[in-house]
Amino acid sequence: MWSVVTRKELKDALRDRRALAALLLFPLLGPVMIYFMFNMLIDIAEDAVEVTLPVVGAEYAGDLIDYLQQNGIDIENMRLNSRPASEGEFYSQPQLDEISQAIRSRRFDYVLVIPPQFDELIGASRGSNIELHMESTRTTSSPKVSRISSLIDAWSRETAALRLIVRGINPDIISPVSIVRIDVASQQSRVQSILGMVPFFVIMAAFVCGMGVAVDVTAGERERKSLEPLLVNPVPRYTIVIGKWMAAVLFSATGLVLVMILNFFSLSQVPLEEVGIVFNLGRLEIIGVLVTTLPLALFAPSIQIFVGIFAKSFKDAQAYLSFIMLLPMAPFFFNMFNTQDREFWMNFVPMLAQHMLLTDVVRGETPEIIDFILAGTSLLFYSMLFIFGASQLMKKERIIFT
Amino acid sequence: MIEVRHLCKRFRDIVAVDDVGFTARNGAITGLLGHNGAGKSTTLRILYGLLKADQGSAMVDGIDVVTDSLKVQASIGVMTDAHGLNPRLTGREHIEYFARLRGMKEALIQTRIDGLIETLDMGDIAERRAEGFSQGEKMKVCLSRSLVHDPRNLIMDEPTNGLDVMTTRSVRSILQKLKQENKCILLSSHIMQEITALCDEIIVIAEGRVLMQGTLDELARLTRESDLEEAFMKITRQG
Repeated sequence: MWSVVTRKELKDALRDRRALAALLLFPLLGPVMIYFMFNMLIDIAEDAVEVTLPVVGAEYAGDLIDYLQQNGIDIENMRLNSRPASEGEFYSQPQLDEISQAIRSRRFDYVLVIPPQFDELIGASRGSNIELHMESTRTTSSPKVSRISSLIDAWSRETAALRLIVRGINPDIISPVSIVRIDVASQQSRVQSILGMVPFFVIMAAFVCGMGVAVDVTAGERERKSLEPLLVNPVPRYTIVIGKWMAAVLFSATGLVLVMILNFFSLSQVPLEEVGIVFNLGRLEIIGVLVTTLPLALFAPSIQIFVGIFAKSFKDAQAYLSFIMLLPMAPFFFNMFNTQDREFWMNFVPMLAQHMLLTDVVRGETPEIIDFILAGTSLLFYSMLFIFGASQLMKKERIIFT
Repeated sequence: MIEVRHLCKRFRDIVAVDDVGFTARNGAITGLLGHNGAGKSTTLRILYGLLKADQGSAMVDGIDVVTDSLKVQASIGVMTDAHGLNPRLTGREHIEYFARLRGMKEALIQTRIDGLIETLDMGDIAERRAEGFSQGEKMKVCLSRSLVHDPRNLIMDEPTNGLDVMTTRSVRSILQKLKQENKCILLSSHIMQEITALCDEIIVIAEGRVLMQGTLDELARLTRESDLEEAFMKITRQG
């Protein structure tokens, strides 16, 4: 009998542009964003490989320039056309202005400026400044700037060590500790943080795509005053609630599946191998994602139906449900601050459990079957509670008649 | 047959129904007459199982409306005060929905609906979405969905409210026909002419109490007025 209700509500919803728009537009949002973010990331990564360094006064620092070139930096001599430096200054103000102008006009992203007596000072075992002119707000060039800086630092340490050795001193004396960074995942981690958005969009889809229907069949029914005539029919309240719930569930599940298909499609369009990521979702992973998320399509509409019955009108329902929409974001905040490992109780926290499972699956780790079962059944249990609650609410006189 | 005994219902401090009792026979049209807020709708809502009485009992064909509400709902057709049509469904779809909820066979549903469309002259609205239906058109759809399962008992809250003359007449003739079929019909109205034109038995309600009940003649005799309107004014003033 509940299918009679579901069929009618679906027919109604498919004629409702608002509900359809939520169903079809939201799933597009995430994959499109992910696609563009990845492409941006890949562009940046590709650029970092070839670094061209414009230098003023390269002839004053032969050793350093050689060192940079050996480490894959292309040196480009920058010719200055302004008035040359007069006695007592290294570079004239117009020359410095010319350098700044070259960066501001985006001819260069950064310029290395070497003072004329650099080699002389270094040769005399003294120190010298060199200037790296750049604009720190230009984030696209920051990987290159940090690469250049670290190379110069490395050269400086090497030079210092040589000076000490010449004087018969062990260079370790001035550097008791040196940190050796073994970076296995600098680029990977950025990719991970983008991949981390996939679970977010999937969980959101469960909430967004069924909401229009869930509100319409509850608060909408009250607003139209069609609840009273409906409840006069000899059908138990839970049957009616289940029928309405299932209509919203179908929308929510359709949205979920759409989001997943689109996400995988957009990820398959990104040349991930260029940033050194192997992302191959096999059949097992796809099943894992489906098993994790489909219970969400039952859970999200069950809350929305419950809350929707409380609401007298669409407006009320929207106000209440905007709070509910914060729920899918909760696990993200939690994970942002949570430093402890996964604990057993987390399997029973709706959304958090799903989020952890999805994150694992997207990262290519396979969670244990028991985790899927615990997360799925606890969601099912919560959904039943909300549906039971909604059926009880539908018996209240104040809900039926006002 | 509908029997109501000592029914009481209060909403917080307001006593909506206060010791109401009456019987609506089969093969008769019984009318609840009273001003707005007299307790007519509350009484009917208790009968069709959406409100719980604080005291008293109500039976439809001998079945208690509280303990066996689904069974009672299966034996009645109800036209509620609120029409509540869905703007995106057509007239026919509204009637189909309720018929299916009552578990009717698909073939029977279509014959019944075709019949109702014919009698109520709804050809032009059957396949149109309810968005923009006039008051009369909405009423026809509501009436049809309360009759589609051919109930033994009919409960109607202000059934001809807002109908034009033509439709009012066809509603009346439908009710007369149902009466001939020995159905029990209970309706409420605040319109005197409605009650005089239709009802065999009249129950006058004011402030939740039954002031008087009987046929039109009996009421006129009791109040020594030939005109029901005068009688009504006189009774409610005493109450």
